[in-house]
Amino acid sequence: MTPIAAPRRPGRAPLGDLARPSRAAAALMVGDTVAAIGFAGGLAGAVSGAAWWLTLALAAAAARAGIAWVLSGCAAAAGRGTVAAARIRIVRAAFHAGPEARPTSSAWVGTAVDDVDALDGYAARFLPARGAAVIGPLAVLTAIAFASPVSAAILFATLIPFVAAMALAGGAAADRSRRQFVALARLSSLFADRVRALPVVLAFRAEEREAARIGTASQDLASRTMAVLRVAFLSSGALEFFAALSVALVAVYCGFALLGLLPVAIPERLTLGRAFFALALAPEFYAPMRRLAAAYHERQAAETAAARLRPMLDRPVPPAPVVVRHPPRLVFDRVTIRYPDADRAAVADFCLTVMPGETVALVGASGSGKSSLLRTLLGLAPVRAGAIFVGEARLPPGAGVAAAWAGQDPLLLPGTIAEAIAIADPAAPRERIAAAAAAAGLEAALSRRPGGLDAPLDARGGGLSGGERRRIGIARALLNDAPLLLLDEPTAHLDTAAEEEMIHAIAVACAGRTALIATHSSRLAAIADRVVRL
Amino acid sequence: MSGFADLLAAEIRRERAGLLRAALLAAAVAAATAMLLGLSGWFITAAGAAGLAGAAAGFNYLLPSATIRLLAIVRTGARYGERLAGHAAAFAVLAQVRPALYRAIAGSPPAAALALTSGEASARLVQDVGAIEMAIARRPARAGAAAAIAAGGLLILSVRPVAALLFLLLAGMAVGLTGWSCRRLDEAGQEVQRRQGALRELLGLQLAAAPELRCYRMEDAAIARIAAADAALADARRRQAAAGGAIEAIGALATGAAAVGVFLLAMPAGTALAALGALTAAAAMDGIMPALRERAARSATREAAARLGALFMPDPPPFPKPRSAALTLPGVGTLVPAGARIAITGATGTGKTSLVEAMIGLRHHDAPGIRLGDMPLAALPAATLRAIFAWAPQDAQLLAGTVRDNLLLADPDAAERALWDALDAACLAGVVRALPHGLDSWIGENGEQLSGGERRRLSLARAYLSRAPWLLLDEPTEALDAPTERAVVERLTQRLARTGQGLIAVTHRDAVAVLCTVHVSPATCRAIDPGTPHRAVRVLAPVD
Repeated sequence: MTPIAAPRRPGRAPLGDLARPSRAAAALMVGDTVAAIGFAGGLAGAVSGAAWWLTLALAAAAARAGIAWVLSGCAAAAGRGTVAAARIRIVRAAFHAGPEARPTSSAWVGTAVDDVDALDGYAARFLPARGAAVIGPLAVLTAIAFASPVSAAILFATLIPFVAAMALAGGAAADRSRRQFVALARLSSLFADRVRALPVVLAFRAEEREAARIGTASQDLASRTMAVLRVAFLSSGALEFFAALSVALVAVYCGFALLGLLPVAIPERLTLGRAFFALALAPEFYAPMRRLAAAYHERQAAETAAARLRPMLDRPVPPAPVVVRHPPRLVFDRVTIRYPDADRAAVADFCLTVMPGETVALVGASGSGKSSLLRTLLGLAPVRAGAIFVGEARLPPGAGVAAAWAGQDPLLLPGTIAEAIAIADPAAPRERIAAAAAAAGLEAALSRRPGGLDAPLDARGGGLSGGERRRIGIARALLNDAPLLLLDEPTAHLDTAAEEEMIHAIAVACAGRTALIATHSSRLAAIADRVVRL
Repeated sequence: MSGFADLLAAEIRRERAGLLRAALLAAAVAAATAMLLGLSGWFITAAGAAGLAGAAAGFNYLLPSATIRLLAIVRTGARYGERLAGHAAAFAVLAQVRPALYRAIAGSPPAAALALTSGEASARLVQDVGAIEMAIARRPARAGAAAAIAAGGLLILSVRPVAALLFLLLAGMAVGLTGWSCRRLDEAGQEVQRRQGALRELLGLQLAAAPELRCYRMEDAAIARIAAADAALADARRRQAAAGGAIEAIGALATGAAAVGVFLLAMPAGTALAALGALTAAAAMDGIMPALRERAARSATREAAARLGALFMPDPPPFPKPRSAALTLPGVGTLVPAGARIAITGATGTGKTSLVEAMIGLRHHDAPGIRLGDMPLAALPAATLRAIFAWAPQDAQLLAGTVRDNLLLADPDAAERALWDALDAACLAGVVRALPHGLDSWIGENGEQLSGGERRRLSLARAYLSRAPWLLLDEPTEALDAPTERAVVERLTQRLARTGQGLIAVTHRDAVAVLCTVHVSPATCRAIDPGTPHRAVRVLAPVD
């Protein structure tokens, strides 16, 4: 499970380059405000007695509808661009994660799907709204100033207490809402943790107790959230209040000015048309800011997601696999392998030299470190001390060798059997794939299936037995002509006759390559040039 | 599905009063907004006319200007109250839904419950429960829309009935067109869900195969595949956004058409009243928009509810209970717990852990020939099995919490003394005593503050604390160094003699294997000859 960290400060978003602002969407939002000005102008013209002005109002309404339509597409495109870019980055990071503290693939999937999706709303709605939140009100203010400078001054004057109220209530609200977000994050961590630990919770029959604990935490969150919202809504209350007040003040001022009842002389000559224009446009003054406030939670969600994405993206990328052209000499010089979660080294101070083209069998009890030695060559097991030399060069920490490898549990992806084998060499002609499959002893399995090599496999291996899956791994290793061959228990779970065949195929595959075979089988070990006991 | 839907409906019913209050307040907001703008328009237009006619002295300006200010205050106060009441109701509902969700996950069959990753569970809890929460908090928007239509309609009616008719017609069209767009939105939403599921699955598979892909340098091809699945998802999202954009466009068009149309139709009643009608119509249409957006969000809410509903499954039927904890293994015989020491051994991948997980009811397994008392193992309910075996899992899984939280999982009523005894038996008492807060020290997520060996020993101590007749220990000394391993085995022997519990240990370590009197292999479940324990001897090859 990935820890859920809350954003520290709203002002310093950790989003940085994760989200791309869309200028077009912000420009369209400003365009909407301009169309609103046109609409108000049209109505005001009609009120002044020229009905043909209504055509302007209608045109402006149509323009607003068109802008709303295009804007939704444009904002969604900005969101999609952000999501696609972030997703490809996190997927690359996941594939290149080193052997150190590698999170489980499900943690990566959760981050790559859910956390990346949380950036969508931020880029699609929050960023454009923020871009338009300053220019929009300014455009409205300018338009009103042409019709009635005093009305514009009234609107501007309401902005000053509004900003002060936002700074006071908004600051407190943002701080509290951040704390509430932390409480929600804690609750969801608790929930996720108890789902992760479900096997032990169930085994000790504690599910009811843990559900009650989640219930208590949930109640606590609810009461705490309400305390927060009482303050948080004050800032949106301030927004509402000043939006309503600005309309009311403009209406009262204009009304009294038109009646000539104002106690002081006003520096403008107000006509009904101008007054009506100012009034009809007044609600638009606060509209961009309301739009921004409505998108505020998108930003919170994105910041929380970014806090989880960052450490995964910033992980050091291990070097690319070392490619060897000829059968290499391998030297393990006092190599110690210890996994991050173990006190005991899987392999300690191991020394071995394998000559070019030599086949070495590694034998020993389970847990003696045979697989770990093969995995270090693939960059999958952390070397804590010592050095590995491939040919003349030292293997950089975390790097692997591009080798032909068959592990204990070959992973299969959805596709055909031929595609599953061809992962080792996508350019291989079909005859070679068929030959590799035959050499790995897959013929019986193929003849049983309609389509043979083209029989489909699903994600779970499409009904292949454990032994057949292993044979696919062997077929891959046979198809790939890398000069280093690594086989991990290639004959486990095979009966004697099948093992005999497989040993023959392995012997052929080992010819002309440097090969390391981890095995329990003495018959397989017998084909090796040398047997090393761990 | 219905389990969750019923629960949600019942919880929403309980919060009726709060939701009703929120709905009334939302109605007040919408009505006040429509009237505020309409009245303001009338006021200045009438004032303008009176000013021109020189009749300002006879114009009653006090009432309208006071009403305008009153409406502004009512709108603000009602909005504040509406949001608070709506959210309070939503949170109260969710405080009940979350624990129910956990109960449902824990109660579903092991295959389904354990397949759920914590990331996915977290996504369900945060996103889907969040979507339901938003939906509940947004419900008052419907009342707001009704009030906007009613207030706007009545105000325009007082101007000229035909204008009110046009307004209602346009409002009806906006609602109808939104409903029509929502059908497309629903389809697009379902497509997004499907594509997102496909992306999730593809990512899971490709990332699990990362070692193979790296070894054969196929990572770029895999990344290209994932990018293609992502592009398909983005395409579905584009259609969803287009349908959402259509609703915004409908709203903008309806607002404009209503203002202009009402103005034209109301002209015979005078410019001032026509202005009132036009601005009221515009503001009222704007008041309908939150309800249209709420309608559009309903498809996402339905999908969230469907995903949550899928976690709720019917309760399993009751099963019989065994009469004793005596364990029968094929080819071995029947063993009572006291004094029994069974080792399960065998090569990697021969099903040792599967057998253990079947014994604790976390996995379905035929377990041929294995019986508990007079019942076949496979026929026993999980709850019974879990009372008979105390399990220390292979991955030494721990809760995020304190040492105490983890120990109490096995026995919530255990006394302080018993906790220390169990820690002592697992050779961990010294470590815990040295921690800053002793038993109440926070050990982090899955015990990340502890070393691998300490985690394993805490998991052992937890199993020891259970009073179940059998201890079921999966690789109990894995990742321990040799002196600790010896001490753990020694104290385990002493503790077994004292408690009379039986031991079943999956192990490939000699130190544990020699302690056991019966050795079985999971494949056949037949006794095997342990022979001379193969000692792990490392022969160093010569280095040149």
